[in-house]
Formats: sequence, C-alpha cells, structure tokens
Amino acid sequence: MADDAAAVHGEASSTVLDVLGEDIIRIVSPVSTCMLLVVLLVSLLSSPSFPSPLSAPFAAAAGTGGGGDDITTALITAVIFVVAVTAATFLIVLLFYLRCTPCLRAYLGFSSLSVLLLLGGQVSLLLLSRLRFALDAVSFALLLPNVAAVLTLAALSPASVPIALHQAALVAIAVLTAFWFTLLPEWTTWALLVAMAVYDLAAVLLPGGPLRVLLELAIERNEEIPALVYEARPIDPHHGQNWRLWRDRNQPDRALDANSTVEVIGEVLERNLDANSSGNLVISATQSEEQANMDGTAGSLRPGETPVPNLSSDSANVLAPPETRVAVAEMRVPLIQTRPQRTRDEDGGDDGIGLSTTGAIKLGLGDFIFYSVLVGRAAMYDYMTVYSCYLAIIAGLGITLLLLAFYRKALPALPVSITLGVVFYVLTRTLLETFVMQCSTNL
Amino acid sequence: MEARVAGVPQDEESGLLPRPPAASRRPSSAAPRRAPPPVVWATVDGPLGLPLEEAEGHARRFFLWGFACLPFLWAINCCYFWPVLRSPVASSSSPFYRIRPYILRSAVGFTIFSLVLLTWATTFIIGGERLFGPAWNDLVMYNVADKLGITGFMG
Repeated sequence: MADDAAAVHGEASSTVLDVLGEDIIRIVSPVSTCMLLVVLLVSLLSSPSFPSPLSAPFAAAAGTGGGGDDITTALITAVIFVVAVTAATFLIVLLFYLRCTPCLRAYLGFSSLSVLLLLGGQVSLLLLSRLRFALDAVSFALLLPNVAAVLTLAALSPASVPIALHQAALVAIAVLTAFWFTLLPEWTTWALLVAMAVYDLAAVLLPGGPLRVLLELAIERNEEIPALVYEARPIDPHHGQNWRLWRDRNQPDRALDANSTVEVIGEVLERNLDANSSGNLVISATQSEEQANMDGTAGSLRPGETPVPNLSSDSANVLAPPETRVAVAEMRVPLIQTRPQRTRDEDGGDDGIGLSTTGAIKLGLGDFIFYSVLVGRAAMYDYMTVYSCYLAIIAGLGITLLLLAFYRKALPALPVSITLGVVFYVLTRTLLETFVMQCSTNL
Repeated sequence: MEARVAGVPQDEESGLLPRPPAASRRPSSAAPRRAPPPVVWATVDGPLGLPLEEAEGHARRFFLWGFACLPFLWAINCCYFWPVLRSPVASSSSPFYRIRPYILRSAVGFTIFSLVLLTWATTFIIGGERLFGPAWNDLVMYNVADKLGITGFMG
C-alpha cells in the first residue's frame, strides 16, 4: 500500500500514508497479540474432559438443576457484574475527586500484582501440568514472584523500563485476566460481554456516566488519571524531551509533535470542509466505506483498508506537497493546545479509546480483555469462529478509530467491536458452519 | 556519519523528521548547525527514554535493588541501557562514564544468576529420578501443585 501510494503521489504521500498505517498497526498489533495468546492458552488448557472450574459455584448459587448454564443465571450474573463495576468506578471517581492519588496507585499496584502472581501462577501451573514440563519447585518459587514483581513494576511506572517491556507487561495482565474470564460458563460469558458493551456505551457517553465524570475531572484539573492504559508508541519522538516524564500540555513547542493518524485525518477533513471543496472528500470517504461494506464478505477487513487510499489521494490533491507538513503543523497548534487529555479508568482496567497528549492512540486495558474474552470463548467452539470473530473485532476497532478521528473526543471502544463480534459468532455458528461443512464434504 | 548511540531505530525517523544533528556520540565532533547542545541518549528507547541526568540514579537504584532477590532488575538494567553497554570502554570524558560501572556489574550479576539457575534446572530435568531418587517426585512442580491442591484454587 505504501509503495503504490509513493509511486503515484511522489514524496508527499509517504508522510500521510506511512503515519496512518503505522499508527493503526501500532494499536492493532498488541490487540492481535493479546487475542492470539488467549486463543493459544484456551486451546492448550481447555478440553471437554475438564469442566469449567467456575461453573460449580454458579450452579450452587443459582440453585437451578441445570448446571448453572442457563440464560437467567447468565443475565443475573451479568447484571451483578455490571453493578459491581459501576460501583467500583464511582469509588474511583470519588478517590480521584478527593485527590487520593496514592490510594489509586496502590490499588492499581495491588491489582496488577495479584493478577500476575495468582492468575499467572495458576496458568503456569496448568501449563506445566498439561505439557508435563518437569520444572522443579525451587526454580518455580524463585521465578514466579520475580517475574510478577518485575512485570508489575513495568506496568506501573513506564518511565523506568523499556517501552517494549511496559507494553508487554500490560498485554500479559490482559491475557491472564481474559483467560480467567473464559473459564466462566458459556451463556454467562456472552451475557457479560453484551452487558459490558452497553455499560461502556452508557458510562462514556451519557452525561452522568462515571467514566465521563472522571474524564471531565481530569480535564478540569489538568491531571492524569492513574490507570492501566495501553499507549501506542508515538511516531515522532520529540527529541530533547521525554514524552512520558513530561506530559505537560502547556508546552507550546510540543504542539508540532503529534503527527498521529487521527489528527491528520481530522485536519484534512476540517480544512476541506472549511474550504468548500469538501463535498468530494467526505462523500468519497463514505462512498468508499459503503462500497467496502457491500463487497466485503462476512469476515474480510475491507472497511479499514479502502477509505485510506481515498483520503490520502484527495489530500494529496488538495494540499501542495512541499507545504503539507508545515501547513498541517501550523493548523494543528490551536487544536493541540486546547485538546483535553483522554484517558479512561475502571477498576484495575480501562475502557475507552482516546488520544494522549502526544497524539498517540490510547486504548484501555479493559478493551483488550473483553476482545480477548470474546475470541477465547469463540475458540472453545472451533477455529472457524475464531477467525470470523477476530476479523469482526478488528473491523470494529477500525471503525472506532475512524469515529475517533471524526469526533475527536474519547469514545467507548467496546460497543462496536463486541456487537460485530457477537453477530458474526452467531452467524458463523449457524450459517457459515453448515455451508463450509457441506462444501468440504461434497466437493 | 552519525553513530547509533542514540538507539533510535532508523525506520522510525527516516523521512519524518530532519535528522537531529544532536544525536552524536562525541559531542565535540558534531558541527552544531543550531544553538542547542548535542544530546546523547543513554537508553534503548532513545528520545523517549530517560534523559542522561537521570540515567545514573536509575541505574544505581536498579543495581542495588537487584540484590533483594530480584535479579531480573539487573536484566532490565542491561536491556534498558544497552547503548551504554555497547559503547567502547569509557574514558572519563565519555557521557556514559558514571553509568557504565553499574551496568557492567548488573550484567555480571544477571549472568551468574542465570547460569546457576539454568544449571540447576537442566540437571533436575535431565537427571530425573536416576539422579535424585524418590525425592525427584517430591520436587517436581506439577506434583507439588497437585499435592497442595493449588492448581484449581482460583476457579
């Protein structure tokens, strides 16, 4: 894609297209890695002979005779979970309001350490048993607390470890939590996913939602919420300043830094809309997306791919190549200085997608977790559902990124992807499977 | 020709930024085309990592905490300050002069730890029951886990 664009448009297109693709890849890769690891763990560790370890307590609690895996139990469990999460988020808002940042950081540290130690220990024990790897108890007792402590440190203080380790620690925490969620009974998992998607939508967009309140508090106070958030590495490191240590928004010379995808798209769209030559750009973007949706098959990742060349080609026609970067940079200064910080917080995890002060895309850890839960649960059925759910989730993520570029405020990342994922899971399981089986047996 | 001490990967900056004349190993050899003094990056993240002033304190802290049964902090020290390890033996004028001893000692410490651990683990795995006798079964982790019943305690 980059080669074609460069050949056609000369030297200007490498800026827009490279940045665009690079930004998207930097957020899609960790999400894909997390999902891949969860699918691997689920394939290795789940088998029909092992009943779900969490279904027994559910059966006991529900009191029904059906093994605890019916719809009413599932709905009740999902509602209880959402209520608990809402309460926890309001508690976090309260703590943030009272400026108890040490409490929040201590809570984050405690939760990540417990996830890594307990869940990590259990997963590694299951792996050792399943693979019959004869590690001795002494080495295990030495390695596990060490690795857990180091990964917690890496997850909590990104400034003191290599960026790669920090991101790896966040992905590890997400993988372990997602694997634990896949141990729930089936109907409960699906009900939980749908309930969390609805909760995310409400909490981020409704005026009274806890996440929105938290965000507004953070904007008003110009502070950063201590949270477990995955931030993609920015493409233009501003030499001479450390973007992690000095996240001060009021430095005017940082305004020329951020060259992320979403700002460039937004920039191009705004200029074109103002200049009244816009109709073409906006219409071509929507037309290409509709076209992509129509000719794509159920799982193909068209929506993310097709609009991009149209945008870049139009932008190259509208903006003169040598002045592109300067013009865009100049126009971005007022936008960045007033741009609020976008982070999301939830208990131990995060929901929502936004832009950091350097323009890199931020995605909460809760999104990683629930995407992986969906794909992991799909893996328990068959790999066909895994592929279609994976593509549906990535398409949903692409759509959310596009919406982020249009609306330029923090958005919930769960609803679109979870909806598409659930829809495609149901369609694959009911329609695609019979089709594929018929094809493969009769051709 | 600018040296790679900064550790910033070529692909991240090519075509997007004018190459900073500051990323030079020997400050005296860089012809300054602009007023700001040349900047040297001690960490593997380059401009995104720690600045030079804080690097020494950080290296010393991680080195000392590594003695608290946390040898992986030494490994992080070595990986994070890879450009320091890779630079030639420090003369007293090199910008990495004060950081380098800590990194070297962290590297030595981590090598010793990993050698000891690997030797022990490999002996255990390969030796098996022939070497250890019935005690082997008591030491293997999956047996210990089954005995203590901790495999399923979280679920």
